[in-house]
Amino acid sequence: MNIVDTTALDAAKHDVAPRRVSVIRAPSFSLRNLKGDLIKLWQYRDLLYTLSLHRIKVRYKQSVLGIFWAILQPLSMMFIFTFIFSLIARMPQEGAPSYAIFVYAALLPWNYFSTGVGNATNSLVSHSQFVTKVYFPREILPFTYIVAALFDFGVASVLLGALMIYYRVALTLNVLYVVPIILVLSCFATAISLIFSATQVRIRDIGVAVPLLMQLWMFATPVIYPLSAVPVRLRPLYMFNPMVGIIENFRQVVLRGQALDARSLSISAVISVVLLLVSYLYFKHIEATMADVI
Amino acid sequence: MADLSFINVSKRYRIFHEADSTNGGPAALRKVRRMFSGWQDFWALRDVSFDVEHGEALGIIGQNGAGKSTILKLLYNITTPSDGEIRIKGRLSALIEVASGFHPELTGRENVYLNGSLLGMKRREITAKLDSIVDFAGVSNFIDTPVKRYSSGMYLRLGFAIAAHLDPDILLLDEVLAVGDADFQAKCIARINQLKQAGTTIVFVSHNLSAVESLCDRVFLLRKGEIYKSGPARQVISDYEQMLTEMPASAPTHLTTVSESPEAEIVSVSLLNSEGRKTTMFPAGDPIRVAVEYVAHEPLEDVAIEVYFYSVFGNLHCHFSTSNDGSRLNLKPGNGIIEFDCAELGLEMAAFNVEASVKRREADFSDHIDHKHVAVINIGKGKPIHGMFHQAHTWRQRN
Repeated sequence: MNIVDTTALDAAKHDVAPRRVSVIRAPSFSLRNLKGDLIKLWQYRDLLYTLSLHRIKVRYKQSVLGIFWAILQPLSMMFIFTFIFSLIARMPQEGAPSYAIFVYAALLPWNYFSTGVGNATNSLVSHSQFVTKVYFPREILPFTYIVAALFDFGVASVLLGALMIYYRVALTLNVLYVVPIILVLSCFATAISLIFSATQVRIRDIGVAVPLLMQLWMFATPVIYPLSAVPVRLRPLYMFNPMVGIIENFRQVVLRGQALDARSLSISAVISVVLLLVSYLYFKHIEATMADVI
Repeated sequence: MADLSFINVSKRYRIFHEADSTNGGPAALRKVRRMFSGWQDFWALRDVSFDVEHGEALGIIGQNGAGKSTILKLLYNITTPSDGEIRIKGRLSALIEVASGFHPELTGRENVYLNGSLLGMKRREITAKLDSIVDFAGVSNFIDTPVKRYSSGMYLRLGFAIAAHLDPDILLLDEVLAVGDADFQAKCIARINQLKQAGTTIVFVSHNLSAVESLCDRVFLLRKGEIYKSGPARQVISDYEQMLTEMPASAPTHLTTVSESPEAEIVSVSLLNSEGRKTTMFPAGDPIRVAVEYVAHEPLEDVAIEVYFYSVFGNLHCHFSTSNDGSRLNLKPGNGIIEFDCAELGLEMAAFNVEASVKRREADFSDHIDHKHVAVINIGKGKPIHGMFHQAHTWRQRN
């Protein structure tokens, strides 16, 4: 949205504090607006907080299992994959004491991504009563779903901790690398959410396509198999998927207690940051006239 | 500079055609093609420029489709202009009810935080104003109850109370300016006057000409997306009233909801003045004839056809019914017209929503076979009629 905030030089006589002047113009792609957009977003930080909090509360308010749903989803997937890939077929588990913990350690960040993006995609359309009635930076809507998914990630991490104790996986200081990994993952999930949710406003096919896309994407990412199982000649292409570096590094620092692989994570980080910038500009462009078509 | 400036603002809406089903290959392909070429441009506003000075109250009037709500949406930044520039100095808020954004599972308190921050309030600002908001809405005892247990009145009042607690430099008002009962309306009007006295700049967009006249210093009359007239409130409003009276038979018989009632439907409603002309402008106390065209899809026994006049606040002021004299109305399949004649329309100067329905005579008041909003009418200067209802009466002088 094309809002430039400057401070009025001619503050009205009765006013103690000068009043900001906002200018609304036709939408245009430009980096110049970025600063104004980010200031607006910062001004509305309380909305992001309140809305994310409510998102979490509402989800668990009327359900019996409540917060355990956050664990149940990756847990049941873990059981299915463990049944298939360690009892029926043998899948390499690369140093992990059991296939169960091997796959759970990847499902955890993967679910954060797929749940966050999946819910965020529909966030604008499902809040059309907000979008057509009041102004606020609309990116807050997809953001809240990413925050809620991150909360679920935190809850489900508890089970990973329990599995590690059960299988006697020693925790090293390298586990702190989880912080930059999750940061990159959050950037990437946010970027994809901005693109999908903005496009969904006009083309509703996106919402239908996302679950399918997420299924395919999971198989293109080392979740149920290790990176080492991917043929070497395919790797350069394979690594273009930013989720590869993220998931593989997550499993490496948590389960194997090794330092992260800087090369693969930086590929993911560069792609994520560039994509975040581009997707934000795209989103703000669509946002300007979103209420006309939603 | 002025508090609010429109500088050569235009707004274009792109209207996409429905896919033509007879030619052009597979449906998906047609849809894609339509996204790139099958549209028509509609200019809701064309090159509009104006300034609103600090502390001024501006009224914007005009018929449906003249561009009033487009101006509101642009000011409130819900959408952006296609061309031109809008400058807003200070914090701008709209006095709108936000109850539609309530989450039913959350308590009143949680919803106040949610919707307050949606309107741009900070959490600590909401905390400071919470008691006052709850008190204003009159829901103190239920603030920790999920709002799904609220009555619809409580719901709306709470939604409105939040917006009433913003401290804007510029206030936007539109039709839904007041909700709830007379008490609550009085509170809202007191709040608006309080803001006006404090020097808040006000933009009021409404069909309610008498409300515009009492609140605004200056009025714009919009027509086809352009400012047709502007000037002191009284003058522009009387010009507009004149214009509405003289308007040829363009009276809105448009029906806003499309219902597919299997038994009978309201097809159109015409409002005719004493000269038999279709219009939406009636001087107070003038005769009115309302012609309701219906279609019955099957024989219907003992039904009633009714016409309602609602204030913009949603209060029913007056009601015509075929069951008024206790007679039975039976409909044969096919079209027909019911005409109501009223010698003296007892509505005061304001705008009213006209609705029509067909229902079973013995059914509950709100149990309709078909029910539609059919028009907005304006009551202008005529006989001195005031109050919620008018009672025809006579008088004599005795010495």
